[in-house]
Amino acid sequence: MDVLNVEYMLGLVPVLLRYLPLTLQLAGIGMVLALILACLFAVVRVLRIPVLNQFTIVFISFFRGTPLLVQLFLFYYGLPQLFSALTVIDGITATVMGLTMHFSAYMAESIRAAIVGVDRSQTEAALSIGMTNGQLMRRIVLPQATRVALPTLMNYFIDMIKATSLAFTLGVTELMGATQKEAAGSFLYFEAFIVAALMYWIVVELLSKLQNYLETRLNKAYNR
Amino acid sequence: MKTLLINTLLIISLFAGAPALAQENSLRVGMSGQYFPFTFVEQDKLKGFEVDVMNALGKEMGRDIQYETANFSGLFGMLQSGRIDTVANQITITDERKKAYVFSDPYVYDGAQVVTKKGNTEVQSVEDLKGKTVAVNLGSNFEALLTELPYADQITIKTYESNLERDTALGRVDAFVMDRVSASQIIKDKPLPLELAGPTFSQITNAYPFHDTEAGRSLRDEVNKALAALRDNGTLTTISQKWFGTDITKP
Repeated sequence: MDVLNVEYMLGLVPVLLRYLPLTLQLAGIGMVLALILACLFAVVRVLRIPVLNQFTIVFISFFRGTPLLVQLFLFYYGLPQLFSALTVIDGITATVMGLTMHFSAYMAESIRAAIVGVDRSQTEAALSIGMTNGQLMRRIVLPQATRVALPTLMNYFIDMIKATSLAFTLGVTELMGATQKEAAGSFLYFEAFIVAALMYWIVVELLSKLQNYLETRLNKAYNR
Repeated sequence: MKTLLINTLLIISLFAGAPALAQENSLRVGMSGQYFPFTFVEQDKLKGFEVDVMNALGKEMGRDIQYETANFSGLFGMLQSGRIDTVANQITITDERKKAYVFSDPYVYDGAQVVTKKGNTEVQSVEDLKGKTVAVNLGSNFEALLTELPYADQITIKTYESNLERDTALGRVDAFVMDRVSASQIIKDKPLPLELAGPTFSQITNAYPFHDTEAGRSLRDEVNKALAALRDNGTLTTISQKWFGTDITKP
């Protein structure tokens, strides 16, 4: 067995750290956009708004039913072939578009489930004391739904951070792309990829801490 | 309201014009960054034979070279969709590719080489690949070369994005096929137990592919002129000697 080249690993840390911000940006922007889209879809599905409801069902079906990598290739390499003006979509934009649509499809369903899961008696009670539909949503249903949806949404965010590692296939050098190129130069694959793995892991671990904190806060009303 | 509209349109046209502007004074070159010693990264710096030749060409042409790195399997997609002007990644001229692109003059002459794990006595030449599993890079020309062999149906071909050298050293495949010069260089420079198996079995000539459009052809002509100049003044030979200790830029 070869000896682990620790010196090489340590030297790689500052190099790879330069690419971590891009990874986080891809996932961060993707998450915000996906959340907005997912909320819209969930509302459309819960209220069964005609036409939009059918569109949403097909959208979710497609983006949940095809691999993310296929979607990224479609956006980045496929669309410009049909419409050459779409060449302006660069790798970063295509990645964010892909992440947004792919994960919004999943998230819409878990947000919808959380809204539907709020007990009917809550709605009835709110209406009986004269709340409007808007007040009912804002004050009663959404706060309870948020608490239920939070763990799964954080799960998707964690998944999205790791999914950014596909971006190098579109020429976006993020953490994974940088690691692959360094490994190809040194042939020290284990060393290079273990450094990258640790970086992803630490980021996700920090997010789990944030999740715990948020959950504790949202659960306050239920603790005695 | 009207000025807002005009401003918006101006901004949009500015963005729309951006790629075209970039094209005028810089050459957008795609490479994998994962093909030692042609293109690879060390401490965040893109290096290799391809980078040196391209930089020399850029200087000769008076153009900035803008490097775009992506996995090899994505490079032709980027070329096809107009995001890069050419690919500098040891692209071998083939009939198939000539249908879609116009090629510059060749700048590397090489041969296909079988490489095995050190001490492999079963595979000594390309004929011994019968019944064996052979690794090639995904989308590379070496896959096509193997399928053209008369006993191709007896060879199991495994395609890789990268790391095929490591997998051969681990014994997951019986051999890999690559160009002779980079295979020799990997064996010399890197800590992998590999060896060349027999002589090269097919001549390959590598060049830069360009879009088959007026703009693409004129870029190609410009590159050809610069290539000829670098050939005449010895720059190509010097760069080749630096990386390989031999001149691979002459037939």
